[in-house]
Amino acid sequence: MQVGSLGIGAAVLATVAVVAAWPAALRAADLDVFVGAARDAAVPDAVIALRPHDASLSPPAAAPATKTIDQKNETFLPYVEVFRPGDSVVFRNSDQTRHHVYSFAPARQFEFVLTPGQSSAPLHLESTGAIAVGCNIHDHMITYLYVSDAPWTARSGADGHARVATLPPGDYDVSVWHPQLRPGQAPPTQTLHVDAANAAATLRFALALLPDLRRGPDRERVDY
Amino acid sequence: MSFRVRLASFLVVTLALLQIATALLVYGVTRRELVQQGEQQLVLASRAFARQLDDVSLRVADNVQVLTLDFALRSAIAQRDRNTVVSALRNHGRRVGATRMLLVGLDGTIEADSAESGAPLAKFPFPDLAESALEHPSAAVVAWDGRAYWIVVVPVTAPALIGLIAAAIPVDDPFLARLQEESTLPNAIELAAQTAPGKWEVLAHGNGTIALTPSVTSRSEGLPSKPVSLAVNGREYVALATRLESSDASAPIVAVLGYSIDDALRPYRSVASAWGVLLALGLVFGLVAALIIARGVSRPIEALAATARRIAAGDYSAPAPIAQRDEVGELALTLAHMARAIGEREERIRFQAGHDAITGLPNRVAAEAAIERELAQRDGAHGALLLITLARLPEITKTVGHGISDRVMRDAAARLRQAGGAALLARATDTEFLLWLPHVQEADAIALAFRALDALDEPYSEAEFRIDAAPAVGVALCPQHGTQFSPLLQRAEVALFAALNAEEPVLVYDPASDPHRPERLALMTDLRDAIERDELALHYQPKLHLPNGRIDGAEGLARWVHPRQGAIPPDRFIPLAEETGNMRRLTRWVLAAGIARARAWQRGGRHLRLALNLSVRDLEDAELPQRVGELLTAHGVAPDRLLLEITESAVMHKPEAAIRVLRRLADQGIELALDDFGVGQSSFAYLRRLPVRELKIDKSFLLKLAEGAEDRTIVRSIVELGHRLGYSVTAEGVSDQATLDYLTQIGCDHAQGFFIARPMTAEALDAFLAAAEPATP
Repeated sequence: MQVGSLGIGAAVLATVAVVAAWPAALRAADLDVFVGAARDAAVPDAVIALRPHDASLSPPAAAPATKTIDQKNETFLPYVEVFRPGDSVVFRNSDQTRHHVYSFAPARQFEFVLTPGQSSAPLHLESTGAIAVGCNIHDHMITYLYVSDAPWTARSGADGHARVATLPPGDYDVSVWHPQLRPGQAPPTQTLHVDAANAAATLRFALALLPDLRRGPDRERVDY
Repeated sequence: MSFRVRLASFLVVTLALLQIATALLVYGVTRRELVQQGEQQLVLASRAFARQLDDVSLRVADNVQVLTLDFALRSAIAQRDRNTVVSALRNHGRRVGATRMLLVGLDGTIEADSAESGAPLAKFPFPDLAESALEHPSAAVVAWDGRAYWIVVVPVTAPALIGLIAAAIPVDDPFLARLQEESTLPNAIELAAQTAPGKWEVLAHGNGTIALTPSVTSRSEGLPSKPVSLAVNGREYVALATRLESSDASAPIVAVLGYSIDDALRPYRSVASAWGVLLALGLVFGLVAALIIARGVSRPIEALAATARRIAAGDYSAPAPIAQRDEVGELALTLAHMARAIGEREERIRFQAGHDAITGLPNRVAAEAAIERELAQRDGAHGALLLITLARLPEITKTVGHGISDRVMRDAAARLRQAGGAALLARATDTEFLLWLPHVQEADAIALAFRALDALDEPYSEAEFRIDAAPAVGVALCPQHGTQFSPLLQRAEVALFAALNAEEPVLVYDPASDPHRPERLALMTDLRDAIERDELALHYQPKLHLPNGRIDGAEGLARWVHPRQGAIPPDRFIPLAEETGNMRRLTRWVLAAGIARARAWQRGGRHLRLALNLSVRDLEDAELPQRVGELLTAHGVAPDRLLLEITESAVMHKPEAAIRVLRRLADQGIELALDDFGVGQSSFAYLRRLPVRELKIDKSFLLKLAEGAEDRTIVRSIVELGHRLGYSVTAEGVSDQATLDYLTQIGCDHAQGFFIARPMTAEALDAFLAAAEPATP
């Protein structure tokens, strides 16, 4: 399981530790979501958001965190990062070139140039939504800051699997977001019922994805 | 049509046909090739056209894509700065050659429009293009407001997808023209949109001037996706319609590509005209060559034909030699040989036709022609025709054969040629030569005749034979005996026969003695008429029975009194009748008249035996005995009342036949007498075979009986001998009493003669008998 951020990773680890301590009393379940595209190709970097129908099931909010988006080899790393409102983001330029980092996203708009080795000041993220960040010098550099207030979020790994551990029994809306989903449309959502008797649950999402903008437009193909 | 013309025509026509066929073949092949080439080109061109559109799409999309990356534009879009966006769109639109640029929201709404006029659009009219542009730039040719546009839609990212920019680039005539110029596209390209089912509207055409679309789209088979041939305004095209991928929202659009066969053929026009000139030159050259060749062939043939005509006309002189070592030359040589051979053969035939094969002399026909020719040339001049015969030649032939007689004739011919000198010598018949002496009178002719005889006098001798051919000559003179060959020959022949008969060596024709004179023929006709008209009369000369001094018989003698010539003696008309075949007719009349008279005598109680003469011709008549018998029966006359007299010579002519006839007469009881007995050649031995009862001593013995003791002895011997042999004997020609007395004295049975009575008519005989009756009781 790949952990997107240290903060969340620690919380999950803590939760796992709790479940391990009181498995019978909590009766929690693990959720495994598989995100696939056409022909079941694994879709990495999809963000799974779970919202319980019963708000009381939500775990307590974690403390605001600051996450760093590195710029290495003219690539934003990671491609998708999940934030909670109140989190901050820092852009670090690990390349030998300048990077002109910008965003026109309604959730957070900014623009600055990072010289090699420079890190930006932390940018506070308050509004939810996907913030597409690009480099005006390198069109193929793009990263998404996904700001979500959902109690559980998870990011799919290279194998397309996103896992959420120790879900309390109950009903959930499970939505998925991905940068290549068609913009302007509601994210695909499924409801999930976690039964106390079942220790594991699985979900599958099949997404129709647009081309990966990191690769730039397909210069050899223009559709008539 | 002459051979030459035909040959020339054949060559020229062959040449022309060959050329035309080649031209047609080349034209067909070229044209087919061009059409195929055109079709291939069209297919390639349609692909190329599509590729070019792709390229343009890429380029335009690239350009537009680059525009979208403009940070200012992106920020203006992202920040919804509409005015800035519109101005930027206009600016960028000019850069890529778009006449209209649109900013399309992700939901399809028009967020900005570079168009300065016209109704503002709410929705992007080609949603399918916008849809696919979300994934990658899309482009399509669309029909939009009656024009063709190149619509390129590219996504705008900032850096996420925030909208679409659509560029509308007009696909107009200059656009197509540019495409054509930049490539090998055919010069006829049209873009057409289907405005209604089956109805197509041309949106753009390149620099082509021909409207192909109506012809292409009006085809009942539909749009030709493969190359088809069609005619537009009388010009031929290969055309192809390529459906262009368009927006679903647009009317269907096709690109019509045409390939002009005529244009493709244009470079070949000059080739064709050059070809035509070559063909004409070839024809002229061929014609001249053909005429020359044909002349080379036909001239000798014409010469040969002329030669053949000459040969046909009888000119066998050698034809002009043809110095050709081919079939014609050989033919000419053969023709020359043939002409020579024909000439020789004709010469031989002509010689044979005009010459006698044995003696080599001209034959009668040739001689006649030559003599007639000469006679015609010199009218009425003198000449003599000598006819020389070897009288014994038939006998020689029969005795020793034709071989020797031929050699005899050849020898005689040689001798006569020598004797005759320049005279024309010919062989007239098997046994006769003919010698024509021009310009000679009778004396010279006779002299030459004797010379000829002298030449033939020496007998022909060969081995053991010595042959005396007994030559004789008859001469006819021109103009006395005729002025033409035919009468001259005939008269010479008469003279020759006369000479043979007279045993004279040479005789000149004598008209008086000619038995074949024309007047004899007239007399003949008269005699026949006389017999038919019963103009002849039968006179009777009484026969005196010497022992009792009574007339007991009479000899009937025919008499003819010609209406104009008067009495004609029997020795004139009887030979005539014998020679002209009228003897039997005469005999029949004599028998009829005589037997009728005998009946009258029988009825009148006169015991007279009628004696009638039979000719040599009668003895050849096998029907004679029957006819005589019938006459006797018809008249009721006893056979023994008739005595038929025949001459010795008549019997000797054809003895066997004569004896048969005589036997049959004798068998009927008819008495037979041998007339003119004593001068013939018959022997008694022969006589014994004849059924004769009576001998009539020839009157030559009796005429001078009174003076000649010899004759008396002969007569008496005949009488005695006759009696001893059982014949009764009659003496005729009794002309005096002494003779009668002597006959009575030697016991002759009957006497007849002027002294007793001349021949007389039947009435006179009656009177004569009546007068004599009383004297003899």
